[in-house]
Amino acid sequence: MAEVDVRKPLPAITSEAKPFWDAAAQKKLVMQRCNDCGAWVWTPRPLCNECGSERIEWTPMSGRGEIYSFTVIRQVVGRAASQAFAPDIPYVIAWVDLDEGPRMITNIVDCPVDQVQLGMKVLVVFEQASKDVWLPKFKPL
Amino acid sequence: MSIRNKAAIVGIGETRTDRLGSKPGEPRKSSAEYISWATRLALQDAGLSLKDFQGQGLGVTIPTAYPQPFWPEEVAEILGITPGFLQGGATGGAGAVSLLGGMAGAINSGLIDIALVCGSAAPFSEHWGGGIQPGDMRDWEIPYGTMGPNSKIAMVMRRYMHEYGATLDHFGKIAVAGRYHASLNPLAYLRKPITVQDYKESRLVADPVRLLDCVMPANGGRAYILASPERAKSLRKKPIYLQGFGERSNPSYGPRAGSDALVMGVRDAGKVAMEMAGVEHGDINFLQLYDDYIIVVYLQIEDLGFCAKGDVSFYERTDFTFKGQLPIQTGGGMINVGQPSTAGGTLHIIEAVRQLRGEGGERQVADAKIGLVSGLGVLPYGKNLGCCAVAVLGNEP
Repeated sequence: MAEVDVRKPLPAITSEAKPFWDAAAQKKLVMQRCNDCGAWVWTPRPLCNECGSERIEWTPMSGRGEIYSFTVIRQVVGRAASQAFAPDIPYVIAWVDLDEGPRMITNIVDCPVDQVQLGMKVLVVFEQASKDVWLPKFKPL
Repeated sequence: MSIRNKAAIVGIGETRTDRLGSKPGEPRKSSAEYISWATRLALQDAGLSLKDFQGQGLGVTIPTAYPQPFWPEEVAEILGITPGFLQGGATGGAGAVSLLGGMAGAINSGLIDIALVCGSAAPFSEHWGGGIQPGDMRDWEIPYGTMGPNSKIAMVMRRYMHEYGATLDHFGKIAVAGRYHASLNPLAYLRKPITVQDYKESRLVADPVRLLDCVMPANGGRAYILASPERAKSLRKKPIYLQGFGERSNPSYGPRAGSDALVMGVRDAGKVAMEMAGVEHGDINFLQLYDDYIIVVYLQIEDLGFCAKGDVSFYERTDFTFKGQLPIQTGGGMINVGQPSTAGGTLHIIEAVRQLRGEGGERQVADAKIGLVSGLGVLPYGKNLGCCAVAVLGNEP
């Protein structure tokens, strides 16, 4: 058996997503918005997936939202790379609905796991995961 | 636009499932061995041979994490046939039900006369490594420590409980009915009956998802054979007709379109399938629902319209066993029989055919004439299941 790689998996900085990660490194949350129909586009896409327009623009977000739902991870399952998260157990994965509308998968931090609640108002914080990647996570407002 | 009664299932094949291969020295079988085993059983059931499939249809479900994108062609080589119409199941766990519609369409168009659909996986005896492939999951989920489908389904379940007041007693009832049916199914893997208390006390995996909420991965193979109604009449077993079919993939798109994570694509796929079949809810004698999780079975019952959204009292008053008002998962479902990756969903078609033939043994639904089968696959970013296919099957045209 090969050694298990215990580093946490990182996102690939794709051409579509590079502006997101550049902004995150400046501790700013941005998402694409359609200049024609006004829809938010998330995750990063080459065109507006509501109206098909290619006139989409990276736009600053408030960084505020509320917890739609969440889970507490109690056990590592699945791919080998998941082992890297074992030391963090128990931790919270959440769907956060941003005030502007898009729903993100993220972690809730700076809060004991037994105090996380649906509907809780949260604010973005950025955690450095590598030289180039700062992951947006959320803490209670 | 209809393929009502344009094709019939004429053969089914299901191998035993096992979990061999995770320990050193255990006997192992490959995906190729499970797929040829299941195919042999389906051929015997129909009274056909592989030669009957030269120039005909071959559909193969594509297992997750399998590193070989050309697996369907390799299956043709393994079986020793030259298909005239080769299709891979591209809708994840919904693949087997999707291929039912696709192959029936090809038969109806005159392209082919008969089709073999098969699938297998051997996650315990073949170790694929589980590399991370490009896409939303790699870039926007896994870096946060999501643990496969458990994490997302757990969030669906918690939100549902919050909005509609469903409790572990409601979910436990479904788990108990499935296991009871498994206790009557010689091919099930988990056969020891459980109680609602056992369900509630099973260990938390990703709150509120517990061990007894989850499907059990397994090695195994599944196959079925579909034929034109004319061809079906000359074969060994009573034909089981595809009366209606509907599919909805990516049921919502774009953040503003409002993906309601608590409503599944089977709502619309089911409507299409039932309208095509010309059946009402009261005409349906049983449901075989895709079951990667108990909450997914629960949601489908209401989204298919058997009760109103959020009517938890329906689950309290309804008997879901084979003797009850609305039998579900009459063989125990994948949760108890085991899930060989995307081939798992084929199980529900196979069990529906058994019931409609009257081959249900100790768990036979009395006087079963029409059954509904669903297939679901793929958990996209921020949503409930992304690929949804529904078939209505009946033992008369």
